[in-house]
Amino acid sequence: MGIGNLVHMFSHLQNATRAHLGLTSIPNNKYNLNLALALHRAGLIASVTRGGPTPPDPATLLTAEPEVVTTANVATRRLWLGLKYWNNKPVLRKVQAVSRPSRLVTATMPQLSKISRGFHVGQIKGLTLGETLFVSTDLGVLEAREAVERKVGGLVLCRVS
Amino acid sequence: MSAARPAARRLISGRLASGGLRGAAAAVALPTASSTTTTTTTTTTTPCHQLLFAHQFHSSPQLAARRRPRFPNVRAVDMGLIEEEKVEEYTKETFPKYTEGEMKSLRKRYSEKQMAAIEAGEDAIEPRDLTMQGRLRIDPYRMPYIDDFAENQPIIDKRLRRQKDAPDPHARFMNMDEFADDLIDWADKLATGDVTGTLKTLVDFVPDQWKKKPESQWPREVQADARKAFNTYLEGEVARQAEETKAEKAGGLTGAELRSGPTDGDILKYILERSTMTDGNRTSDSSLAHALPSKVPGVAGLYKTATDLEDAGLDDLGVYQDLKRRSGMTVREIFRVDAKMLVSRRVSNQTRLGKVSKLSVMYVAGNGGGWLGLGEAKSTEETTAMEKAKLLALRNMQPIRRYEDRTIYGSVEAKVSGTIVRLASRPPGFGLRVSHRIFEMARAAGLKDLSATIPRSRNPMNSVRAAYKALLSQPDPEEMALGRGKKLVDARKVYYGGATQ
Repeated sequence: MGIGNLVHMFSHLQNATRAHLGLTSIPNNKYNLNLALALHRAGLIASVTRGGPTPPDPATLLTAEPEVVTTANVATRRLWLGLKYWNNKPVLRKVQAVSRPSRLVTATMPQLSKISRGFHVGQIKGLTLGETLFVSTDLGVLEAREAVERKVGGLVLCRVS
Repeated sequence: MSAARPAARRLISGRLASGGLRGAAAAVALPTASSTTTTTTTTTTTPCHQLLFAHQFHSSPQLAARRRPRFPNVRAVDMGLIEEEKVEEYTKETFPKYTEGEMKSLRKRYSEKQMAAIEAGEDAIEPRDLTMQGRLRIDPYRMPYIDDFAENQPIIDKRLRRQKDAPDPHARFMNMDEFADDLIDWADKLATGDVTGTLKTLVDFVPDQWKKKPESQWPREVQADARKAFNTYLEGEVARQAEETKAEKAGGLTGAELRSGPTDGDILKYILERSTMTDGNRTSDSSLAHALPSKVPGVAGLYKTATDLEDAGLDDLGVYQDLKRRSGMTVREIFRVDAKMLVSRRVSNQTRLGKVSKLSVMYVAGNGGGWLGLGEAKSTEETTAMEKAKLLALRNMQPIRRYEDRTIYGSVEAKVSGTIVRLASRPPGFGLRVSHRIFEMARAAGLKDLSATIPRSRNPMNSVRAAYKALLSQPDPEEMALGRGKKLVDARKVYYGGATQ
């Protein structure tokens, strides 16, 4: 499957934080989950919970055991993401797709290294203050600096600030 | 027919109904009557037809007779709910007739004709009717409050005529002697006591021929004798009063009873109400305070001047006084702030009298240490516009975030109208590679390394505004790190010993 659904996730997250939502849901698939976990590692979202069509109870968001996924309920599963705000402003402000379904952009490890130091590489602009870049690699979805640390390159997904 | 009252309406409709019926009867009678009577009948029917016609416009059915309720009401008097004596008693109490004394005082104020009108008015209305039929007004022209205008209400009503006299125009503050006399007068009027009993004065010990002349004209020996006699009199009085007090104390009187002099209340009243002017303590309702004497001894030459001595003559015109008060800066500090005109243009307002041309000016002010302000002003006078804009720029100074006191944090973008300004931080030694207005702004703010692009409209005023907006909207990495829950370390400071300059 391509990254079309992932691009939908970017725009949905951006819309949700601009609307000051506390909890929002995205379709449950591996790509979305991996990126959501990468965002969580970067401190850009508060929580990732697997749930059904109705939002989970915010009080037991982190402790509740998720329902067992079966063939019967797998189609209704969604990922519920807790969004973060600091000083009444969203922590995650802008999610911009780099690769599009019509044009995939990849970056090697040395390129990622340059980008994370603020230099432009090809069409990818260097990261500035507060920006992060997410890359889909063989080791999963990683932040650009993580990828450099683990010496992998991959498909550049999005630029988040 | 728009009768406000149902009774009047009924009356009119009744009249119309009878007229209409009469007219209809005549009309019906017309064909049967002989042709000789035609002229007379037509003359009588015409108004009746008109009335009938008019009456037909009303959709409500006309009433044949006075409407009577199906279940007749019983009057309160018939049920014994109203007692005549009580009504009379209330009437007498509430609406009494003028007494002879009141009439006399009214006569003093009003002319005979007016008095006649008052008396006629009094006679015209029965007090009993006022009790039984007096109603609160509900018409649209009623007063917004309930009042029979019998009493004067100071909040609502016009002020009564001046009761007190006008202040004495020739009054002046009392001198020491006048004040002493006034105090003695006041004390004499109080009940006799230790202090306030009517004492003899120096004049009482002088031969009669000198009594009416002032003290300064008395011969020396007369003065000396009088003083001697007065002193012995005073000593005697003091001794006598002391003995009296002693005797009273022995008699078991308490302190409060002993003190028959002025009470605390008297003294307070003296302090607050007694006039200090030579106007004989005349009370007036003037709110104007008496003017101070033109020269108050001991204060002459010590009046404050308009300008502040701290300014050391730098701001004699007082231009910077308001700014000084607002910002807390001294005039010398204000002068040290760098202010520069960035934009100036002629603008004109087309009125029916012609074009009114003004100068619109934009100033930037900065202390070179991270403070920057923007001021805009317009005036027909160039100097006024510039001065206003400069003062506003100084007043609007705000702190700008600076990284290592040389560049900005990250890259920022701001949009004003069609102008977008993008500013970006740059490494040390990069310099200010920006357009000339932003260069001046950066220099005033104390930025040394900066790059800027203005990709769209380059309107001078808007580009300055957008640059200012961008400088103020710099991100704070510390806040960002707190939001993401990350630890923030500035690598430059860690590895290169915090080289800032």
